[in-house]
Amino acid sequence: MSTTKRYWQSIQQLESDPDFIASAEKEFPEELPVEDFLNNSDLDATSTNRRDFLKFLGFSVGAATLAACETPVIKSIPYVVKPYEVIPGVPNHYATSYSDGIDYSSVLVRTREGRPIFIRGNRESKITGGGLNARINSSVLSLYDGNRLRGPQIGGADADWNALDVQVREKLRAVNAKGGTIRVLSHSLLSPSTRKLIQQMGSHFGGSMVDDSAAEEGAELSTGAGVDFKHVAYDAVSYSAMIEANEKSFGRAVIPSYHFENAKVVVGIGADFIANWLLPVTNSHGFGKTRKPDREWMSRHYQFETNLSLTGANSDFRGAIKPSEVGAVVTRFYNAITGASLPAGTIEDENDIEKKIARAASELRENPGHSLIVCDSNDPNVQVLVNAINAKLKSYGSTIDLDNPTSIRQARDSKVKELIGEMKSGKVDALVIYGSNPVYSMPKSWGFEEALSKVGYKVSMASYVDETSILCDAIAPDHHFLESWNDHESVKGHYSICQPTISKLFDTRQAQESFLSWMGKADTDFYTYIRDEWKNNLMPQSDANGFFEFWNKCVHDGVFVGDHAEPTEVVFQGDVAQAAKAATSIKGGEWEVQLYMKAGAGEGTHAANPWLQELPDPVSRVTWDNYITMNPSDMAELGLNIKIAEKTPAHLGKVIVGDQEVELPVYPIPGQRRKTVGVAVGYGRKHVGKIGEIGKNVFPLMQEVAGSLSMALFDAKVEKSEGTYPMASLQTHSTMMGRKIINETDMETYKNEPASVPGAQGQFQGWNQKITLKDAYGQDKTTEELNLWDDHAIGLGHRWGMAIDLNTCFGCGACVTACAAENNIPVVGKDEIRRTRSMFWMRIDRYFTSDATKEEDGYVAMETPSVYPDVTFQPVMCQHCNHAPCETVCPVAATTHSDEGLNQMTYNRCVGTRYCANNCPYKVRRFNWFNYMGYAKFKDINPSQDTLGRMVLNPDVVVRSRGVMEKCSMCVQRIQAAKLQAKKEKRKVTDEMLNAACSDSCPTDAIAFGDVNDPESAVYKWSKDARSYHLLEEIGVQPNIWYQTKIRNRTKEENMPTRKKDEAAAEV
Amino acid sequence: MQPKNISMRSLTRQSSGTGKWLKCFLFFILFIATPFYLLAEPPAGATEAQGEGLFNAKCKSCHYLTAQKNTGPGLYGYRERVPNEEWLYKWIRNPQGMIKSGDAYANELWAAYKPTLMTAFGTLTDVEIGSILIYLDNNTVQAEEVVAKDPKPTGGGDPQEGESDATSLIIWLGALALVFYVVIKVLGLVKTSLINLDRTGKGLKPKEDISHIRSAINWLANNKKYAALIVLVIVSVGATNGWYALKGVAVYQGYAPEQPIKFSHKIHAGQNAVECVYCHHAAEKGKSAGIPSVNVCMNCHVAIPEGSLYGKEEIAKIYKAAGWDNENQRYTGETEPIKWVKIHNLPDFAYFNHSQHVVVGKQKCQTCHGEVEKMEVLAQHSELTMGWCINCHRETKVTMEDDNEYYQGIKEDLMIKHRDLGLQEFTVEQIGGLECAKCHY
Repeated sequence: MSTTKRYWQSIQQLESDPDFIASAEKEFPEELPVEDFLNNSDLDATSTNRRDFLKFLGFSVGAATLAACETPVIKSIPYVVKPYEVIPGVPNHYATSYSDGIDYSSVLVRTREGRPIFIRGNRESKITGGGLNARINSSVLSLYDGNRLRGPQIGGADADWNALDVQVREKLRAVNAKGGTIRVLSHSLLSPSTRKLIQQMGSHFGGSMVDDSAAEEGAELSTGAGVDFKHVAYDAVSYSAMIEANEKSFGRAVIPSYHFENAKVVVGIGADFIANWLLPVTNSHGFGKTRKPDREWMSRHYQFETNLSLTGANSDFRGAIKPSEVGAVVTRFYNAITGASLPAGTIEDENDIEKKIARAASELRENPGHSLIVCDSNDPNVQVLVNAINAKLKSYGSTIDLDNPTSIRQARDSKVKELIGEMKSGKVDALVIYGSNPVYSMPKSWGFEEALSKVGYKVSMASYVDETSILCDAIAPDHHFLESWNDHESVKGHYSICQPTISKLFDTRQAQESFLSWMGKADTDFYTYIRDEWKNNLMPQSDANGFFEFWNKCVHDGVFVGDHAEPTEVVFQGDVAQAAKAATSIKGGEWEVQLYMKAGAGEGTHAANPWLQELPDPVSRVTWDNYITMNPSDMAELGLNIKIAEKTPAHLGKVIVGDQEVELPVYPIPGQRRKTVGVAVGYGRKHVGKIGEIGKNVFPLMQEVAGSLSMALFDAKVEKSEGTYPMASLQTHSTMMGRKIINETDMETYKNEPASVPGAQGQFQGWNQKITLKDAYGQDKTTEELNLWDDHAIGLGHRWGMAIDLNTCFGCGACVTACAAENNIPVVGKDEIRRTRSMFWMRIDRYFTSDATKEEDGYVAMETPSVYPDVTFQPVMCQHCNHAPCETVCPVAATTHSDEGLNQMTYNRCVGTRYCANNCPYKVRRFNWFNYMGYAKFKDINPSQDTLGRMVLNPDVVVRSRGVMEKCSMCVQRIQAAKLQAKKEKRKVTDEMLNAACSDSCPTDAIAFGDVNDPESAVYKWSKDARSYHLLEEIGVQPNIWYQTKIRNRTKEENMPTRKKDEAAAEV
Repeated sequence: MQPKNISMRSLTRQSSGTGKWLKCFLFFILFIATPFYLLAEPPAGATEAQGEGLFNAKCKSCHYLTAQKNTGPGLYGYRERVPNEEWLYKWIRNPQGMIKSGDAYANELWAAYKPTLMTAFGTLTDVEIGSILIYLDNNTVQAEEVVAKDPKPTGGGDPQEGESDATSLIIWLGALALVFYVVIKVLGLVKTSLINLDRTGKGLKPKEDISHIRSAINWLANNKKYAALIVLVIVSVGATNGWYALKGVAVYQGYAPEQPIKFSHKIHAGQNAVECVYCHHAAEKGKSAGIPSVNVCMNCHVAIPEGSLYGKEEIAKIYKAAGWDNENQRYTGETEPIKWVKIHNLPDFAYFNHSQHVVVGKQKCQTCHGEVEKMEVLAQHSELTMGWCINCHRETKVTMEDDNEYYQGIKEDLMIKHRDLGLQEFTVEQIGGLECAKCHY
């Protein structure tokens, strides 16, 4: 094995908790709940005695038998006029794009008979390159959310659009007449047409109001002196400081676009750019390109952060810092890179932080023009320093593009505060709220709710009755993005179209059309508006012959690249000394808090989406909750339970910030900076259905730092409180301990040493040692040679396989939700996950390292966790073993092997013995304990329980019933479709024709899928690569899944485990 | 066109002295040019066989080969009617465009057949259209004896005939059984009387009159071997029948429900020989064959308001669904989908793709659906059980065309795989067609 590091799946495993070990030995820790059932007091309450029961039983058996003999009459209803493009049973793909002010991606939507069922990335896009994340591909489910508003509301009662329009127009006219104030509050708008429309609305209401429809209705034309109209952008997670700092540093109040693909050295300070920061899909797509070890250079990534973020977990070097130390860290970087000697404040030298900063800084300095430092601090002073460093490193023009800024995150906190001030003073006569939920997401100190009550007339465009819209006078519900026309300009010059893929499901109306209607242009639809915009503004930038050609191409491709500037270097003009002084002046308290965004819940807009709630957090692997993350060593000091499992629930803790406090369960995360805690935002929603109410809302805790909204809270108290809380985590789902699970090595070893040294005993055996076993004669044999079984004919014809690059897999979870969408995987809810009954066909295992080694410390010491460990991720799905242990134990041959290398699961043959799950070494088989589509327990959880939610199901994949086993099929429905296409088109199956749901949605293309017998295919090439290995190769099951060794970009010495006995002693 | 014009111009300019030579030249040019206008050569590669196939697939549903009008004009003598052959090519590819372009004959047709417009066949190549024209040239006739135009099936119709045969057979058998019973009874009485007579004659008591059941039981009690045999036969027959009855649960072979519209496949697919895929066009493209949408019915029925079997009644239902006001010849916009009863129901857990079988496997629709063109009321022809699928997969040979790149390599691999049997051709089973995940996922 390459390194002597050991990975554990959880702290319980590391600490060899006897309870854990006992439960880990069992495939299903839960006994069947027979006792629960028999002890149910409801049973005694019934008057049915045994004889009656038998009568009922006899009758129902008889009735069922009779009913079974009757022919069911199934109606088949064709179209009256079939749309030309729809062929029943054949999917259509439409290019559109997703943006909610947090995420952006150009996507393709697969529709079946007019229903959108799957979202994948659009590879035509230069910005997102075919990537997306879990929040984006799960948004197809929120289309079918029955909690969405079914029509407009006035004063909380259902209304019709006409009444609403009349009321809004009347109110706005009144404001106009008296020359009052109108404000539009929205999230950052990526849509140039929408921005223009709102501007036009301003000039419409601002000047003397000419309202054609009003004239028709006989109302008097307003002759008001004009209103004070303003559009204010507001984002719950603010990037205001970046805009401010760019204004100070370069005189441009914008957020630049970042090009991680050009960066040889990346330093992230708090910025979780893989999962959340700015355009996460673009970032991870670009960054992923630089993480292949065989290209000319592989990027080196340093991360300094408080919480263990997804980005930090993927870094080559990670330093844990307190939020209050960010200023000091950045100043140290500035000093080291420019040679200045600004007073750099103090930081506690924990986890060799000074050394790590010095190393990172020197490397940044060595790579001018190929380095990048990014920071998520919302302190403008810190951002000025970051700008100064980037300017010095010549990042502008190569890794940072200030000339083509992004239009995401445009909110200015000062302007939002100004608006609240106006509202409080009663100056605002009418407020239109579009795409944001400020009552939920603003800090309590801003008092938005109170301010809102003083606004004359409030209208919301929210799709749900939410915390804000419930307080508004009227709600004009917006379409879901899959029902809308729109356009987006994510980065200057890079446009994309958003086209509807389904007619509106409810009586909603696109917000822009509401605006048009209120402006008296009810007869103009937004589609025409966008077309005109594109015709006038964008077509001249193309070389198309005529608008028809131009427009059709844009709608077909989904994207259009127009005029954009060549990125240039810029001159930094900010005041560094002052900024450094202010940035380092922040003092932290005993405890500090860093609020963060989760890969699933985001800012809380997706709280009602059960796929995202069930998606485990990539790092903690907890589902369905937010919680306080704390370093286990701190937890031990506070006397909190670290070994959280089904029967040992988490303890509650309390975080007190100023006059506010929040009580949540505490969850151990090694790598969390000691004496800090993290809490995720986006939970504890109200009014959006039961699912959204989970957890607590911590947005109100946010504070202001140097005038902008900060998610870092520098002075807090943290204490243990009374009570426990059950948590649902997937991390103890299955155990794969102490062997070559994730093969990892460092760059130096990878480049200089052989992959495998046969016969090497007790010394270096190669960084990807070929596993051999001794045969009866004591000879070393590979597992292929030590073969007990007859081989399947997988060498002939097709052989489907998959290869997963652990270097570019960042663990984001886009594949997990994509798999759930493609394969109709049921949502089972928190309680079932707690019983280890998750149904996900693929999981992304996360392992922490320990510093101890077997040779020096022995197994017991190895069980002591690192305080600041390395982290690795590994997607695990059915390995489609050619000698599958599951196949041999099935008593009814429900799981068999195909000659194309697939391990087939036949649901209709399965009788549910679960022997196969028992015998599966990878623990990837899932048993349907319930009929999740019908059983009352899952009523509020499983979206397929109502007919609307069922519309997202993939009609090519069967919905499994209770009592059968299921598992990854390698998207056999897609394989069959590709083969059929190839046969019809008389050509070979190539990589372009075929993608599994997971490989389809990976933003970094970390999964290669195809025919292993085709030498042209990527999976063939990857499988032959020196880095490739099989998971648990020693058991000889010969999987069709390969993993590519993870290479950390470190030297051999740096990758050595360092023993920190004193730290270890401080542990439990 | 060019040479002709030049010669004309030269003719007018020249004196009569050179006239003769010029006349010869002119004739020569005309001789060369004429076929292009009057008797244009069909494009190379066009064949009558191809034309027949294309005609049946694309044209037949609206055009007769005679002078008789169908949805579209009868094609007898079409060449005399159209301006030239080039016009035909254009018209077939884009009738609407022709009408819009103001073409005289096109507009004449449009006026005559409004609102029915011929379907555009933009994808037909020159060769294909050429083939159709060859086929038409050789096969159009002025009028044709209409064969077997039998509007209503009478007592002589085949299904009824079979049924009445069976019924009369049962009646005859019943009568025969009755006669036998009477004969046996009478003989039995005669036998008893004789025995009793004999016994009285010998001074014995007459035999006790016991019931038949009693006597049967007595007989069985005295002949235990036979009794055992009879019980065995009864049990085995019962078990066999029970087993088959159980196997028949949820098998709806012969299922022929009443449909909302009495649509006759016999008339459409049989008499009128409309190709199956004209209506069930998705069969070649995707998973489901598709029940035709109402607008497909209207392609023809916009001009056929009366059927031969049920008159106007059933077609009126189509008009209602399509929102067609036949009196005023216009669409009202008030549509209502037809709720057909689905006949062929596969369970959800079985995946079946029509295009796989029809296009790739080149199966005829009739292989599974039976002789639909003879069915007045459509019935499920096959069992649609897994055993039935499997049998076909075991027996059917896969056609691997040499020009299909997909099979290159795969065929060689299969020959290696089955080298023991020395096979050159493979059944569906041998290419993996019995593997579970080919149909179940």
